[in-house]
Amino acid sequence: MKFLTQLAQLPPEYNPFWAKEPGNDALLWIFLTIGVGIVGMLLLTRVPTRARRPIVWTFTFLSGAFYVIYYLWPMPIDRDAREIPQGFVEQGGFFMKDALPRVADIANVLTFLLLCLGIFSLTKIHSARVVKKQKDWFFSVVLLVAMVVMVIVGYWDYILKEFNDPNALLTKAENWGTVNYAYDLLFDGLIQQMDAAMFSMIAFFILSAAFRAFRIRSVEATVMMASAILLMISLMGAVDYQWSELIKGWTGDDPAHMLNNLNLSQISGWVKNYLQIPSIRALEFGVGLGALAMGLRIWLGLERGGVSV
Amino acid sequence: MSTPEKSFWDKAQTLDRRVLYAVLIVLTATSLFFKTEIPVNPDDSSKDLYVSLMTIDPSKTVLIESDWTNSTRGESAGHFEALMRILMFRKVKFVVYSIADAQAPQVARDALMRIQEERKGQGLKEYEPWVDYLDIGYFPNAEGHLQAVGNNIRTAWGGRKERDDTGKERGIFESPVLSNVRVVGDAGLVVVVSASATIDIAVERLYGKVPLAFMVTGVMGPNALPYYQAGQIVGIGVGLKGVYDVEYMMKYGVNYRPDGATKAKVLYKEDSVVVAPVTEGTTMDRGARYFLPLHVALTLMILAIIFGNVAMFASRRKKKEAK
Amino acid sequence: MNEQFYWVKLTIGVIATIGLYSVLYRETKFYRFFEHLFLGLAAGFILVALWKETLKPLWWDKMTGSVTIDDVTKVSTIDQPGFWIYGFLLPIGLMGYLVFSKKHNWMSRIPIGIILGFWSGQQVQIWWNRWGAQIYGSMQPVWPTTTDSFTRPYTEGMAPADQAYIAAQLYPSQAISNLIFVITILAALSYFFFSFELKGKFLKGTNTLGRWLLMLGFGAIFGSTVMARFVLEIDRMSYIFVEWVDQTSKMFPGGG
Repeated sequence: MKFLTQLAQLPPEYNPFWAKEPGNDALLWIFLTIGVGIVGMLLLTRVPTRARRPIVWTFTFLSGAFYVIYYLWPMPIDRDAREIPQGFVEQGGFFMKDALPRVADIANVLTFLLLCLGIFSLTKIHSARVVKKQKDWFFSVVLLVAMVVMVIVGYWDYILKEFNDPNALLTKAENWGTVNYAYDLLFDGLIQQMDAAMFSMIAFFILSAAFRAFRIRSVEATVMMASAILLMISLMGAVDYQWSELIKGWTGDDPAHMLNNLNLSQISGWVKNYLQIPSIRALEFGVGLGALAMGLRIWLGLERGGVSV
Repeated sequence: MSTPEKSFWDKAQTLDRRVLYAVLIVLTATSLFFKTEIPVNPDDSSKDLYVSLMTIDPSKTVLIESDWTNSTRGESAGHFEALMRILMFRKVKFVVYSIADAQAPQVARDALMRIQEERKGQGLKEYEPWVDYLDIGYFPNAEGHLQAVGNNIRTAWGGRKERDDTGKERGIFESPVLSNVRVVGDAGLVVVVSASATIDIAVERLYGKVPLAFMVTGVMGPNALPYYQAGQIVGIGVGLKGVYDVEYMMKYGVNYRPDGATKAKVLYKEDSVVVAPVTEGTTMDRGARYFLPLHVALTLMILAIIFGNVAMFASRRKKKEAK
Repeated sequence: MNEQFYWVKLTIGVIATIGLYSVLYRETKFYRFFEHLFLGLAAGFILVALWKETLKPLWWDKMTGSVTIDDVTKVSTIDQPGFWIYGFLLPIGLMGYLVFSKKHNWMSRIPIGIILGFWSGQQVQIWWNRWGAQIYGSMQPVWPTTTDSFTRPYTEGMAPADQAYIAAQLYPSQAISNLIFVITILAALSYFFFSFELKGKFLKGTNTLGRWLLMLGFGAIFGSTVMARFVLEIDRMSYIFVEWVDQTSKMFPGGG
């Protein structure tokens, strides 16, 4: 209890529970922490099979518990660094409030390290294909070379901008050197354009699929088609505008006239507001309830395939 | 055994897909060369977005969540560029961050650089990093990050450093851009320019703490509209129509009658609200360039669906008649 | 930007775009080359972003902290202390890579479990923030408060008090629209929740209506998606036929 009091009384950024003054002392602690982590990892390789599931679930449960307790625990509002918490409830609240950004950092770093797992896997598969000279191994060479070139140029550009450019001149293209141009060529000239090209091809497939398969074969298909066509027409501003001009002619531009309700934007707006939005909301609501149930199941270790081993 | 001869309608239904592809390419590419301003009735949601952007207190900072890459350049770049032009015209400071994709920060930087070069060419003031805007990069865990921002933006972004105007690395809250932001609610608005489900994460973590506005792709539009209907976001631009709506209002304003005009081009639900157009730099750009080709492409789509169905019914009828 | 460089960049981008588009005709080696080039460059970029966008600002800088030394007085002040505890993240994150180990792949579930745990814990608190306002927004009044007129009268030019009175009323046309909203959401929800076999005409009818109304939503999603996809294609056409052609004509004024 005394320990928690001491922790909570300190300004958040100087909490020794997780922070140290920068310098050699801090570096020593960092390497020590990494070392302890690696030892812990090695020890985990030795745990018996039956202990694995509880270990994984403990990590999951504690991670989830942080946010659940955070939600339920009374929290300080707009905390000032000089405020001193009184009693256990306030101490807990102060501690958790300070811990939240740390937890967010943990989530950010772990997420990205896990994202890179995909790159690791890609490299492994394509390296094996090249070594074994499997079918189409030349394309794997292309992939690996492109990856290496991007990494070299990317880091070179980063080093130049981060360490060799104190006046931030390289934020403007007129000050660029060869490496900066090469990086821009690879990123903006190739990756970005190919990314756009890849996604744009769906337009062709969707057109072809709609021509071949979007058929009035049932009430459902008819309703869906009518809704889709109405929406597409309403997206064509010119059609909408011309139609509204025609109606203006009929009504003598009287804004109170009933026929104004026949404006395409009025009709599609009504369909959107009173039919499409509630149906999409119901759809999303079902998904939302599912996510809540799934969240609880994962947190409590009930979901097989989630964290179970 | 002889196979029955295929009728025109049978053949039409099995038209080579590459013919359709070629028609789409030719029609959209050709229509890009016709530069014409198409009059529109902007959607209510776009009007609310524009009014919100044009009425933000200029002393308040806007947080921009840029969650798009070039894979949706057609729509998202238009949204982002229009947003930059409005904020720079109104001299509003802003922070750009990303939570959706590692490429997103670089894409936003490039788009920002394009607008800066455009302004330079037009003799307008360029926005200075550190003084007028901050670009604080990528946060991979979207959920945890926005949760922390909603809880305490000062600690969530506390460790981030950027070069100041003298080249010295300093904490971003020392910058004039963020010095007035103690809690996320001190920001004037959070604008999410997104091509993904990060809009849901933003509503879940930030709604009620700071006003939210969305500029999303057509794919995300239907998912985002229920938030607008429920009042969780102040405005939303959906897809290219949203881009064009905003550009159109940038040119003509809302409830705005220029000298001599009897009627405003764009009417708003509240008569008392009058928002002027953007009077410097470019207004109609990407949205205006792509709007006519979009009309052509959508017409092609509608005709393709109708033709496919007509062909199916005609073919069935022929077969029945043959029997 | 250097005009020549810009043209080279555009030209390479156009060749790569055409390379990928060649699959629309049929899959060729030309397409596969660009497909693999794209994958390699994109993967390489993620490795660059690993340090530049994530580990450096979110891990290393925060872990080591920072000190500012005053240029004149040479006095150092701590800007940010070092969160040494972040050192644990490296071994924990690396455990994810044991997924490829036959013997220890269970350990890869620890970092995944932590991320899933965070996500699960957040669901409890975010759920109401997302759905509270939407549930409230779905409770629409369905009984008109006036029958003076079927639709809301046009109010421009009226006295402010009359405008306020009219604005506060629910006219029959709006009440009918609201009723349709409520029926739509209830029918669509019932289609979702009653996924087992239904007995009774009413429940079956509601279920069918729910299915039809959901189709309206899907139709809207389809229409909006079509716009998005076509715009991407239009953007590529603009890249090739407008941006590249413009820049080429600038570079070679006499050529065209």
